[in-house]
Amino acid sequence: MLRFEKRDKTPIQLRLLVPAVSVLLGLLVGSVVMLFARVNPLKAYGAIVKGAFGSGYTFSETLVIAVPLILISAGLCLVYRMKFLNIGAKGQYIIGAICGSYLALFGPATLSRPLLLTLMMVLGMIGGALWAIIPALLKVYWNVNEVIATLLLNYIASYILWYFMYGTWGTRGFPLSKNFAVNAQLPRILPAPSRLHIGLFFALAAAVVIWVIIRKTRFGYEAMVIGENERAARYAGINVVKTVIIAAAISGGLDGLAGIAHTSAVLRLLQLEINSDYGYTAIIVAWLAGLDPLVAVGVSVLLAALEAGGYQIQIVMRVPFGIVGVIESAILFCLLAGEIVTHYHIRLTRRVAA
Amino acid sequence: MDGQEQLMLVMNDITKRFPGIVANDHVSFALRKGEIHTLLGENGAGKSTLMNVLDGIYYPDEGEIFIEGKRVNLRSPLDSMKHGIGMIHQHFMLVDSLSVIENVILGLESQGFFVDKRAIAHQIEAIATRYNFRVDPYARIWQLSVGEQQRVEIIKTLFRGARILILDEPTAVLTPQESEELFGILREMKSEGKSIIFISHKLNEVMSVSDRVTVLRKGRLIGTVDTAAVTEGELAKMMIGRDVLFRLERKKAELGPEVLKVEDALAYNDRGLIAVNKLNITVHAGEIVGIAGVAGNGQVELAECITGLRRLAGGHVALKGVDVTNASPCTLASAGVNYIPADRLGVGLVPNLSTIENAMLRNYRKEPISKGAFISYAAACTYTDGLIKKYDIAVPLQNAPVKVLSGGNMQKLLLAREIGERPKLLIAEHPTRGLDVGATEFVRSMLLEQRNNGVAILLISEDLDEILMVADRVAVMYEGRIVGIVDVDSVDVAQIGLMMAGSTAAVQS
Ligand SMILES: Nc1ncnc2c1ncn2[C@@H]1O[C@H](COP(=O)(O)OP(=O)(O)OP(=O)(O)O)[C@@H](O)[C@H]1O
Ligand SMILES: [Mg+2]
Repeated sequence: MLRFEKRDKTPIQLRLLVPAVSVLLGLLVGSVVMLFARVNPLKAYGAIVKGAFGSGYTFSETLVIAVPLILISAGLCLVYRMKFLNIGAKGQYIIGAICGSYLALFGPATLSRPLLLTLMMVLGMIGGALWAIIPALLKVYWNVNEVIATLLLNYIASYILWYFMYGTWGTRGFPLSKNFAVNAQLPRILPAPSRLHIGLFFALAAAVVIWVIIRKTRFGYEAMVIGENERAARYAGINVVKTVIIAAAISGGLDGLAGIAHTSAVLRLLQLEINSDYGYTAIIVAWLAGLDPLVAVGVSVLLAALEAGGYQIQIVMRVPFGIVGVIESAILFCLLAGEIVTHYHIRLTRRVAA
Repeated sequence: MDGQEQLMLVMNDITKRFPGIVANDHVSFALRKGEIHTLLGENGAGKSTLMNVLDGIYYPDEGEIFIEGKRVNLRSPLDSMKHGIGMIHQHFMLVDSLSVIENVILGLESQGFFVDKRAIAHQIEAIATRYNFRVDPYARIWQLSVGEQQRVEIIKTLFRGARILILDEPTAVLTPQESEELFGILREMKSEGKSIIFISHKLNEVMSVSDRVTVLRKGRLIGTVDTAAVTEGELAKMMIGRDVLFRLERKKAELGPEVLKVEDALAYNDRGLIAVNKLNITVHAGEIVGIAGVAGNGQVELAECITGLRRLAGGHVALKGVDVTNASPCTLASAGVNYIPADRLGVGLVPNLSTIENAMLRNYRKEPISKGAFISYAAACTYTDGLIKKYDIAVPLQNAPVKVLSGGNMQKLLLAREIGERPKLLIAEHPTRGLDVGATEFVRSMLLEQRNNGVAILLISEDLDEILMVADRVAVMYEGRIVGIVDVDSVDVAQIGLMMAGSTAAVQS
């Protein structure tokens, strides 16, 4: 019989061990699936590493994926500490991309490039923020569960994107917008073919700023108190409504920024597939990082490597990209299971007669 | 005098260490069959820890435990339950939204997948009748008073066949009448041969119910004595290591201007029933107004209305002549209203945050902890150090979550935070609940000191002795109203008792 005994304290080694083991187990599960697909897992992982870090170019492609992950997970670290379980980063990312793209596609052509780009980024942030404020309002005023609200808003956002792409924004019946004018393209920072763009600096700045907010500011402290004991927060005179809404807006704004930056710099047009699933991957990043935005930078790069390498093995070894999803899900699963290990001793015992 | 076989339980040389502290340092303890044995000690002496070892929550670093002469290894509450040990914790462990029945059978392995609730309801009622009390097996926990919840805890342990019952500060949350009823139940159990370990800081109770007393101080065993052979004073001295004065210096109040004025206040409780009913009261600077009354007569709701945590459905609250009816908690806090809530862990503290983060909860908005939008954790740390020293709070590690402090030390931290910064108005609910005699004396003298400094204090307590000791005026609250208010010097204790019980004759006279 398995027995659970509550620990009085969690040893620090365990806190590090659980994420590490989770990643390993995730990779192991991936191996099993690959064996079924008659692929040598060692070779495949070798190919992933090579595909992610093999050359300057592949590494820069990994960073291209890491940029939105860093942006999104930073915001999630903040709201998750407040126990506002936003899983709507996907929707906020999409709305941000749509709002920013509107300016790129239909804005006045006379705007200078820096001004246009700034406006696009700001509009993207506002869009994402508004999309996150909706569930925050629902939660603070009507006690609607934010997990469900944000999840459903992801679908709505997807369909809004469909509406525009199959409607007036598509070209010649295809769900693709026209290419963004050069003025509306966020500059890339390395020579072609690398697509790494200045969004990398936004992301690093966001991670640092959120870290400072969490660790050093009154706002971060208030968010943490709300997350741990909302009644005590009210008692202490913390304005719960305002804090929840602002934090949700910050998180949504970063998601929107991730959406428009990726669209404008990497895709350079709006289409149905704008990689909005980064919004889900970032959830894993945030938890793996222990809700620390600086740690999340490193974790983002690792998961981005998995994705980038995943594309590679799909092409080179004909392994379905779905494997990457399997590995990511297995990691998240092990992390959740790891929660139990960090809080309880688990012992194998024989059933004793009373 | 008893043979070895009469010993129900022996704990030998138990040592339990936590980061930064040895909570039990080679403590030995023996419990006889059919005795009520008190565990006494200052806040943080290690009483709860020793009992948690017995309940299988903590595993001792050293030492052995024998039950009826057999060595046992208690690794979880389930193990302890199997050996007939049942514990009622300082903070209850019931699930609020479940019924009594569901709480009683929660976690029992012997129950199959389907549960015969009727049969269990009968068993619960049978246990209750045996000890002369009543409980509705189908009631949900949140509908019960604290005293009733405690009985559910007792039933829960008896239902599991407990022969050794541990009660950690059971009377801290009870009214004197409820305490008496509890003692009746305990004596009944004792006569059936059950053994009871009882923790309390109230020496008069200790003297009246227990057969023997074991005293701990700073994690060490001081000794075990027969209650009949000692006095309260001697026990206090064993506990603290010096003589305690049970006397307070009190000079006449110098009334300042009116600080709080509550007019025709009307408010509902969480269940939507009227809790505060057209209530009027005033408190002046430099006076302590005690609100006496049996718990559940609207005292908590009144305090919440004044602190902005509950909406007034009617009436007015004014602070120094300024109308603050339904002002936000934030506005009131910055206007100098401080509050010591009865529900420490649910409202007053954030259990998972550190001592520092809890200590700064009230004044992180003020200099020097606040630096614009930023917080200076260094300043917060200095501030916390100050509180810890001044109020003698036992905090092994300032960065550890506050929930690992002993019950009394959490309470001291909360008090220090609320009393410490000289508010304009202080509302204190049961400020000395759970404190040891030394700390109680200290807190009462702090309340008086603040009153002498011109703070207006509203003291809500069920302990009439406490109110008579520190308050200047006594108001009796019954069913949401103040049914009488008298000067403490002209008080007739019998009459107050009658008013608390709602006797109209007393009210009219
Ligand atoms: N889980 C824990 N982790 C760290 N320290 C702990 C833990 N539990 C208790 N302590 C520390 O051990 C000491 C003894 O605590 P304990 O709760 O046993 O005191 P107590 O005698 O019950 O006091 P009180 O009368 O205030 O309830 C305290 O200093 C407390 O902070
Ligand atoms: Mg205790």
